Amino acid sequence: MKVRATVLLIIATVIPLLLAPSVGLAEVEGSCTMCHKYPGLGRMEQTEGEQAKPIKRRFYINNDLFETTYHGKISCKSCHTGVDKIPHTDAPAVNCATDCHIINPSSNKSFSHKKIVDDFNDSSHGKKGSRIKDKSGLPVCKDCHNNKTYHASTGKETDSIHQITVCQECHQSEEFVKRFYEHIIYRTSKRRTSKEVVKLCGSCHANQELMKKADLDTVVGFTSTFHAKAIKFGNEDVANCLNCHAPYQLGFSPHRITSAREKNSPVNINNKIETCRQSDCHSEASKDFALGSRVHPSPDKIKFLITEKTSNSGEVRLIDDPAFQAKVIDWIQLFYKILILAVVGGLGSHRLLDLYGSIRQHRKGGH
Amino acid sequence: MSHSGKTKKQFVRLTKSQRIQHIILVISTTLLIITGFMLQADRWFISIFGSASETIFWLRGIIHRIAGVSVTIVCVYHLIYVTVTKDGRSWVIDMVPKPKDVVDAVQNMMYMVGFKKERPRMDRFIYIEKLEYWSVYFGMFIVIITGSMMWSEYLWPKFYMDVAGAFHLGEATLAALAIIIGHIFSVHYNPHVYPMNRAFLDGMIDEDLMKEEHQLWYEREMKKIEDSQAGVDRNG
Repeated sequence: MKVRATVLLIIATVIPLLLAPSVGLAEVEGSCTMCHKYPGLGRMEQTEGEQAKPIKRRFYINNDLFETTYHGKISCKSCHTGVDKIPHTDAPAVNCATDCHIINPSSNKSFSHKKIVDDFNDSSHGKKGSRIKDKSGLPVCKDCHNNKTYHASTGKETDSIHQITVCQECHQSEEFVKRFYEHIIYRTSKRRTSKEVVKLCGSCHANQELMKKADLDTVVGFTSTFHAKAIKFGNEDVANCLNCHAPYQLGFSPHRITSAREKNSPVNINNKIETCRQSDCHSEASKDFALGSRVHPSPDKIKFLITEKTSNSGEVRLIDDPAFQAKVIDWIQLFYKILILAVVGGLGSHRLLDLYGSIRQHRKGGH
Repeated sequence: MSHSGKTKKQFVRLTKSQRIQHIILVISTTLLIITGFMLQADRWFISIFGSASETIFWLRGIIHRIAGVSVTIVCVYHLIYVTVTKDGRSWVIDMVPKPKDVVDAVQNMMYMVGFKKERPRMDRFIYIEKLEYWSVYFGMFIVIITGSMMWSEYLWPKFYMDVAGAFHLGEATLAALAIIIGHIFSVHYNPHVYPMNRAFLDGMIDEDLMKEEHQLWYEREMKKIEDSQAGVDRNG
């Protein structure tokens, strides 16, 4: 009797202890959703900086939605480190470089976005790589990786379904296969349409206020290019922002984006031609194709180039002079404006006169 | 209405070749204007096409190129036509601007306003037709050159592309407006020819319109007929 009781006691003690890590975690997880499952959860927060204004912050997590994202298998606390007590007063902001508890099968180490984060910090968008003085306006991971694209539709559903059945020959769990497959597709196919890329980049680079703060040129000239017009129609064959500024095909990445002034930038004057010639774009472009002109100049950029030119003692051919180029285009436009006004005005009034003459003749009973 | 009951005399205004050249020009130019200005279209316009917009964009490019080539061929053919054929030579000779055209223009406008009782006696091609005709040379020269440049974009520096684009768009806008206001209005919305001048279809002009707009030409043609009539009479 005593022995049986002792064994039972041991089992009763050991089993909870063995299960403790998972059970304990589950309890923590459970306690997150205990509050965060309520859609109304959130608060108003005051932003810092010059134009401080209250913003609404939501802390509601839709668990069904979360579980379908790439991060769906990661516990809340893997990213939200330091959230140990309620209220979560001292919790630091989420750092994407944190090691998470998922083991990377290729290295058997904890997975981390640290390399990308480091690359990003060195890029012209990052705190280290940017030459802007006021770093508060710089983008963070989330500005581009907004939640919607965590589970981006690839737009190739039929392909995906076919592929997924192949995976399922070995991997039984449909949920696993779908998440894993999307995880790969997410990186091998275009995640965003060109329209979305232009919109995303434009959300900062076409924002005058933000660009003024960063002492950067507001990109306004792109919309008048043929590339932009084709993109408007949903064409994916023409270049969007990233195809020139961070072409994957040439070994660049948006995370390592740099200013055109950097020697190894794909849009540097010396490398531009190779960027234009990439894959199926302007593969036969002549050497002059990329020289001497901007793809999407804006008035501010031209002004800047003029000042840069005057400070540069090197001889510039008139035809390569951005000020001259801008003037020529203006002259052509002015020429046609005058011509169109003259022709339309002349022909229009001639036609009206003719009509007037006919009416007058008709009244007289001439015709 | 004095001619009622009596069949009007008909004269050849456009030969068959000229009509074919004209109709190819009309179709190609219309397609070029539509497919060209689609590029300037606003977002709402593109949204009408919905998911087909990408295909439509592709078609737009193909059609614009086919129509562009057609127009180029017609223009080259026309240049050969006006140098080689008899009809062509008489056409271009009658199109040559003369000082009289300026006088005609002033007098015609005075007539339209009411300062003169009669229209000036104008020839086969009146001043505004000559202006339209030679404008096509100027316009075609520009759009064909700049269009070919943009088609072979890889050969040129980007700045040349910008210049070509500015010329192409400017000339296209000018041409489209000139065609609508100058040409379509004068051959359709014109009380003399209502509902339309049929010359582009059957090539004929009746003596009423001819007397109204081309008095001098009418007299010349009538004299020719009388002379040949006289010749026939003499011979007979």
